[in-house]
Amino acid sequence: MSKELIRLRDLTMEFDGERILDSINLYINDHEFLTLLGPSGCGKTTTLRIIGGFLNPTSGTVTFDGEIINDVPPYKRQINTVFQRYALFPHLNVFDNIAFGLRVAKLPAEEVTERVNRMLEVVSLKGYGHRHINSLSGGQQQRVAIARALVNEPKVLLLDEPLGALDLRLRKDMQIELKRIQQAMGITFVYVTHDQEEALSMSDTVVVMDKGRIQQIGKPEDIYNEPKNAFVADFIGESNILDGVMLSDYKVRFFGRTFQCVDKGFAPNESVDVVIRPEDIDIVAPEEGHLVGVVTSVTFKGLNYDIIVEFKGFKWLIQTTDYHGEGATIGIRLNPEDIHIMHKSEYSGMFGDYSSYSAEYDELTEDAEDEEE
Amino acid sequence: MKKTNRILTILIFIFLYIPMAVLIVASFNTGKDITNFEGFTLNQYAELFRDEDLLRLLGNSVLIALLATGVSVAFGTVAAVGIHSLKPKMRKVVMSLTNIPMTNPDIVTGVSLSLLFVFVGSGMLGQRESLNFWTLLIAHVTFGLPYVILNVMPKLQQMDGSLTDAAMDLGCTPVQAFFKVILYEILPGIVSGGIMTFTMSLDDFVISYFVTGSQFVTLPVEIYTYTKKPIQNKVYAMFTLLFLLIFVLMVAMNLLQLRAGRKRETMRSVSRGGIIFRRCVAGLVAACLLVGCGFLIFGNKQERITLNVKNWGMNMADGSDGTLDIVKAFEEKYPHIKVNMSYYESNEALYSQLSNGGITVDVIIPSDYMIDRMIQSNMLLELNFDNIENFKYVDEQFKNPAYDPENKYSVPYTWGTVGILYNTKHVDEADLTGWDLLWNEDYAGKILMIDNSRDAFGIAQYLLGYSINTTDKAELDACAQKLAEQKPLVQQYVMDQIYTIMENEEAWIAPYYAGDCMLMMEENEDLAFFLPQEQGFNLFTDAMCIPTCCQEKEAAELFINFLTDPEISGANMDYICYGSPISAAREHMEDYLATSEIVYPSEEVLAKGTAYAYLSEEITRYVEGLYQEATKLNAFG
Amino acid sequence: MRKNKSVLLSTPYILWMLVFTLIPLGVVGYYALTDPESGAFTLSNLKDLGMYLPVLGQSVLYSLASALICLILGYPVAYYIAHRGPVAQKILYMLVMLPMCMSFLLRTLAWVGLLQDTGIINNLLEAIGIGRLQLIRTPGAVILGMVYNYLPYMILPLYATLVKLDHRLIEAAEDLGCTPAKTFMKVILPLSVPGIFSGITMVFVPAVSTFYISQKLGGTDTVLIGDLIERLFKQGDNPNLGAALSLVLMALVFVCTGIMNRFGGDEEGGVIV
Repeated sequence: MSKELIRLRDLTMEFDGERILDSINLYINDHEFLTLLGPSGCGKTTTLRIIGGFLNPTSGTVTFDGEIINDVPPYKRQINTVFQRYALFPHLNVFDNIAFGLRVAKLPAEEVTERVNRMLEVVSLKGYGHRHINSLSGGQQQRVAIARALVNEPKVLLLDEPLGALDLRLRKDMQIELKRIQQAMGITFVYVTHDQEEALSMSDTVVVMDKGRIQQIGKPEDIYNEPKNAFVADFIGESNILDGVMLSDYKVRFFGRTFQCVDKGFAPNESVDVVIRPEDIDIVAPEEGHLVGVVTSVTFKGLNYDIIVEFKGFKWLIQTTDYHGEGATIGIRLNPEDIHIMHKSEYSGMFGDYSSYSAEYDELTEDAEDEEE
Repeated sequence: MKKTNRILTILIFIFLYIPMAVLIVASFNTGKDITNFEGFTLNQYAELFRDEDLLRLLGNSVLIALLATGVSVAFGTVAAVGIHSLKPKMRKVVMSLTNIPMTNPDIVTGVSLSLLFVFVGSGMLGQRESLNFWTLLIAHVTFGLPYVILNVMPKLQQMDGSLTDAAMDLGCTPVQAFFKVILYEILPGIVSGGIMTFTMSLDDFVISYFVTGSQFVTLPVEIYTYTKKPIQNKVYAMFTLLFLLIFVLMVAMNLLQLRAGRKRETMRSVSRGGIIFRRCVAGLVAACLLVGCGFLIFGNKQERITLNVKNWGMNMADGSDGTLDIVKAFEEKYPHIKVNMSYYESNEALYSQLSNGGITVDVIIPSDYMIDRMIQSNMLLELNFDNIENFKYVDEQFKNPAYDPENKYSVPYTWGTVGILYNTKHVDEADLTGWDLLWNEDYAGKILMIDNSRDAFGIAQYLLGYSINTTDKAELDACAQKLAEQKPLVQQYVMDQIYTIMENEEAWIAPYYAGDCMLMMEENEDLAFFLPQEQGFNLFTDAMCIPTCCQEKEAAELFINFLTDPEISGANMDYICYGSPISAAREHMEDYLATSEIVYPSEEVLAKGTAYAYLSEEITRYVEGLYQEATKLNAFG
Repeated sequence: MRKNKSVLLSTPYILWMLVFTLIPLGVVGYYALTDPESGAFTLSNLKDLGMYLPVLGQSVLYSLASALICLILGYPVAYYIAHRGPVAQKILYMLVMLPMCMSFLLRTLAWVGLLQDTGIINNLLEAIGIGRLQLIRTPGAVILGMVYNYLPYMILPLYATLVKLDHRLIEAAEDLGCTPAKTFMKVILPLSVPGIFSGITMVFVPAVSTFYISQKLGGTDTVLIGDLIERLFKQGDNPNLGAALSLVLMALVFVCTGIMNRFGGDEEGGVIV
């Protein structure tokens, strides 16, 4: 494993008595692609800004390469940032924007030209040097912002929702592009997003945050497959979350039935959250099912159908490739490895009923977080 | 609806531009009067560029405006950045502070600043001249700052805050970030704030009027205070040129903006032009400051002594109409002295200006009773008569006068009478019965009344048969009553404006000083002078004195001595048409004046004149209060 | 937080404004409460104020009248300008601004030349046989002077409000069945209220405190509070009474702008241009 580059110790941040960050402990390795993931207001941007040096934590330390850098101003840190809305300088053209940092550092003109041109190639913007910023498309502006940061050869690149303002197609392309650049340059990326798909597809490590606290740290697969609590389960992908009772190891009871599962180590008869991913549910004929319900709504999603099925007054989301009409009675089967058991947490009972909960977040509500800073 | 709107808009624009058209036409007029276009000429423009005084005043205005703009822009921009990062609550407090000069009426701002400067400068620091160039600059910066801040703040708020972060992220210190990034973002706000400050400052009259001293005067203040001569056509010429200049500037700015706007839309390649334009503006601001500062340092390095003389308007020969230019002659004789002339309208105004403080004056020429009042108030310095040799030429009857019994403080300058100037075309000779002419209802609306308490009360006292030096409050009240009765008949209460109004026959009857009346009679042949001998009239002496705020006493005495030279005095009287207290001077005057009954009335007539005496501070204030009530308020009914 | 340092940049400014706006008002208060002769504390200046109430009332009356006239004249003009193309807007805007940059004193003097008994208008009237009229030295002339000088101050904020008005709102109103008149009354007018109040304030404040206009265009009966203050400071030698009157004027203006802001919705930095 590569060596540790940044460590956050007991970071706490308060604005006007309101706690934005609550003892964040995190280390980031060299060459790692780490993503801070969470809904707006979860503190991920604040964490990023503390690493960048734009905010001073109320308490706790930031260590960079073994040195505490709390009091080092941003312009002295070997860290560069790609800002949420790029923050390109409107009075400068593409070339001058990218050259900005090098010129501030008073590098010789030839070196500046050479490095900027090389960087333009890296971000596939060769020949765009004299274009005006406002004449570029969103994706091109994005690339300029990345080039402007990378040309300074930072040890760490901070990216604050860099793809938030792009449309879906472009976002997919840029995800691949970013990953490529990160691997080509071999530097550490700390990436902030509220888009779970982005986080899962690009990162080496995902940090799920909510309400100023870290909920789970892990590889994308672990986060998805083994969510630590109901929040993570719901935020990463979609989940049906039910109340259950752990009868004993590998045995859980919910909906009046006892199911086999793969989890253990709970107290006997402990109340737990049972998480079942919608795509893991197998639909069978009613007589073969563990449970029998009625389809109340069907939405065509392209790859599959999202159907809402009502079981004894509870609504489940099931993803299936087969069409089942509204009003149809169906049965479902649950395999032991599809049933995830987790301890009750403050999030228990908040999610699960699809008639009232929507996982969509408005991208721009992130602004509210910025205003406070 | 749309059509009516269009017509109305056109009409409103005509309404807005007609007065300016009048002024522009007047600048090409051969005749003096704005109302009569007599012929086309470009002479006024040539005159304008020959008139050093006018150009200097314009220069002063421009200098103050440039400096105030430079300081406000620099100071205001920095402050706006600071305010922007304040917490919302504090920001609100600061913004309401910023709004005070914006919402406060100009007159209150002017009054409050002048009181502050005098209170602190004269009262606490013991400065001689607490109203000066610097106070004027401070005042202009104070009302300029809010314009800059209110224009820059929105730009800061619109600016993407992460631009600053981005600059710092890329290695800029906060200061570098400001100059390399923020400045460009807020520049439009800075420019429009600067332009507003500049135009406001250039045209400011009200605030400047209250905070300006006698040494550094701007053009608008001079236009306001120097209304004795009809405003000369060359001022209109200046107006026309300024109009053209501002028009061209505005058009140019708009064209640039339009072009920049179009570029931004198409934006095929980067426009260096925009950046260059912005750099130019930034450079211009810096240049303003530099030039201004240079001017100041340079300007202050005068080797010559400045002698500040405060005089009545049109009360010293200035070289026009073939007379001697007294000031020029003096400066030629004493090259190390430069005379700075400023004016007052009445004795009371002079007293008020001196007692308000804050100014330096070396020579004043008040009238008899006012000299007595000033002596009593310790406002005059004793003269060193060793420096005023020419005092020996002064006639004995003018030495040791009642107002200065030991003749320690004053040297007489002129003497004269107060009578009635009337227009023979409109006024029936039969109505010339006495002061009651001023109460004659047949001439309602065509009567001007002299606008100072002492002369106005004097007229009422002659009419009512009281002593002009009465201290009986009942008699004074009766005089006030009489003046209040006159008010509906009076067109205007005037001092120096009388010239224009009588000459162009806007009014027909006015009591005024004989010498000034002579001047007006020279301009309009239909004017004549009437001295109400039967009821009595005021006989006054104006004398030169040195107030306690004097800084160049020796030069002041040189000047007084110079004016007391019989030859100079005679030449001076040729212009101002008063009697000289120096008999020898009469020989140097033009015959028609030396023999004029108006300038030199016979002994017999003079015997009927009486002089004002200083009464007491209490009575003076009592009279002033009554006068206000009678003429300004409708207190007497 | 890091921004603390730039907060310090505002300190000199705050000090400057305290010293040169708030403290001077304190000095005015001090003068208002002292005796002109002895310098001792007195309330007599304030007691004398009662006498000046009619003048104050007259000032308020004239300036309110001129603010209203400005509104009636200025609204259609602002509306007209706001509905031109961008180039025409710029030109017309400039033409409104231009008079504000020219000498206020000379422009007022030009009105004297136009209105006086022997002035241009009366000469014309006489020439076409109507005969001379009493134009100058009437309350009307003073109000005319105010309207003339301060009309741009009304047009500019109105224009700023009207030009920002979303055109789709008008279309929506018409779509919902409003006649043009109803659209104006129910949509445009209510939305331009902030501009109206800011315009009224910007006309009222300089008008209520003017002294030059009333001195030049007014007669002996149109004395305004500004005249009195100017006279007391510059000629009457009673700065203390003048200070007391200034305080009254200031209080009046602040009360009026306070009311206007309450109705108009306090827009931070709601200044023209």
